Amino acid sequence: MKQALTIFLMVIFLFACGQKEKLEDVGYRLKWLYNVSTVGDLYADAQGYFARNGLKVQVKPGGPERDALKELELGHAHFGVASADQVFRAVAKGAPIVVLAQLFQVNPLNWIYRPDRTPFTSPKDWKGKTIGVTFGGNDETIMRALMARYRIADVEVDLFSVRYDYTPFYEGRVAFWPLYLNAQAVIIGNKLAQAGERFDFVSPDRLGVKFVANSVVTTRQMVANHPDTVKRFLSALLQGWRDALDPRNEDQAVRVLAQMDRETPEAVVRRQLTVTRELMLPAAGVAFGEIDVDAWKQTAEIMAAQQLIPAGLPVESVLVTGLGPPP
Amino acid sequence: MLRRRIFQFFMIYALGIALLFALKYALGLSDYVVPGPAEIGRTASVYAGPYLLAVLNTLAVAILGHLLSIGLATAVAILGRLTAWVGSFIRTAAYNIQAYPIVAVAPIIFILLGDGLGSRLLIAAMICYFPLLLSFIGIFSEPVAEIEHFYESTQRMTWRLQVKIRAFENIHKISTVVVGSATMAMVGTIVAEFIAATAGIGYSIRIALYQSDLAKILVALFLIGVGTSLYLVSLEGLGAALQARFKRS
Repeated sequence: MKQALTIFLMVIFLFACGQKEKLEDVGYRLKWLYNVSTVGDLYADAQGYFARNGLKVQVKPGGPERDALKELELGHAHFGVASADQVFRAVAKGAPIVVLAQLFQVNPLNWIYRPDRTPFTSPKDWKGKTIGVTFGGNDETIMRALMARYRIADVEVDLFSVRYDYTPFYEGRVAFWPLYLNAQAVIIGNKLAQAGERFDFVSPDRLGVKFVANSVVTTRQMVANHPDTVKRFLSALLQGWRDALDPRNEDQAVRVLAQMDRETPEAVVRRQLTVTRELMLPAAGVAFGEIDVDAWKQTAEIMAAQQLIPAGLPVESVLVTGLGPPP
Repeated sequence: MLRRRIFQFFMIYALGIALLFALKYALGLSDYVVPGPAEIGRTASVYAGPYLLAVLNTLAVAILGHLLSIGLATAVAILGRLTAWVGSFIRTAAYNIQAYPIVAVAPIIFILLGDGLGSRLLIAAMICYFPLLLSFIGIFSEPVAEIEHFYESTQRMTWRLQVKIRAFENIHKISTVVVGSATMAMVGTIVAEFIAATAGIGYSIRIALYQSDLAKILVALFLIGVGTSLYLVSLEGLGAALQARFKRS
């Protein structure tokens, strides 16, 4: 009798487990390795926002050899993060990519410099100076856009090919060095401050060049065939980002990031998070993740002017607006 | 030999491209993921010239690096054949240096030597010298008893003579490993350029990767293949000529 009761309870338990709502598997490829620029993505996953929307999201780190857009087209991921230049290059070659949300309202790419050695008041001050750029990278495109805007000829500056090693900047061989304001800038700034050196940053955005950075992307087929999945994913993701950037949740956000990025000290992450807030949070009355259509158009114009994409690309057809929650 | 080698390379390259096209058309992929023939053709017409110069630049550094590594491996193997502590130490040091991943060592090299020719040369040499070293240590440590015995018993043996005897008796092995390591010299140079240099085809590939432009990479790979084939054929010819000359003498 006792044995029969045990079997009965086990059957009931198994049946109950089977009845549990099955989560939909979704692949999400980030643009870069886990760092502060992915804190909202990780937060949405760790805090169960995706699961509450019926999704089991595999948040996969990006990196220099990973291209989220190619993975989307090959079906290895359903959603991804890419910058506007990547999106336009792909769309110009027929990739069926669309943009769902814009994470960074201001591009975090800046140039660090030492004001006491190379004072900077306008891009005209770059004349005769050595400026670091990653040839082929989006910082080269942004620098060339700035040079075109402020009528600085190629021969008037010395463009220096930069890599991961900051020695040429530390040694003063390169006066302006590109870095991400919310990531490396905090670490490099620390080192310079410890050495008693003054430093400042040149922001392309403040100089009138709006070049869109990390945005959430998917394929046209995904939007057409699985609109509900797209909405649930985007809703959970943007909620994750809003909460991760909320100062009241800072401890939790730092803990979530620390589990994935063990290399960066907590104190650095906290400062990075503060800068990230300033770059990501939109103006009052604007919803988080809202697509800045004008900035996308400017990005396309910049790239077309540099012959990186054909002119006249239908920018607005790439942008899917109105999917995110209201402000 | 040259025609056969080039033909074989063309076959392999064409097979690879055919496989990519099959994938592209079977899965309906855009030109962004796999470029079509027209896109590759357009890219080749624009970039074949500059890329050819870049490949020649890389090839020149690879040849220099290869020569450097042959010299280095010969020197280490001659010293390493000693049973003394010094020989053992050199061998251990050589093995340990090779065990470090080049991507981790490269930034240190670039800090010390800058991003010019010296760094590319050193990295190319570091990558291709190990197979040379292993073979050379084996060759120079293995006595050719039937010949060496004569010189030892007549007390005319010197270390130079010993090395000459062992090299002569193993000339075929040496020739094979030198040709084999040539490919690694090319790979080493490209890796060095990819990591930190500002010239050569590795640097061009890096820029193409930043731009997610597979068409450029395919053009670069084609030219690298042709360049490497030409170098290998030259080495094989040189090896055959040397062997023939040794046999005659």
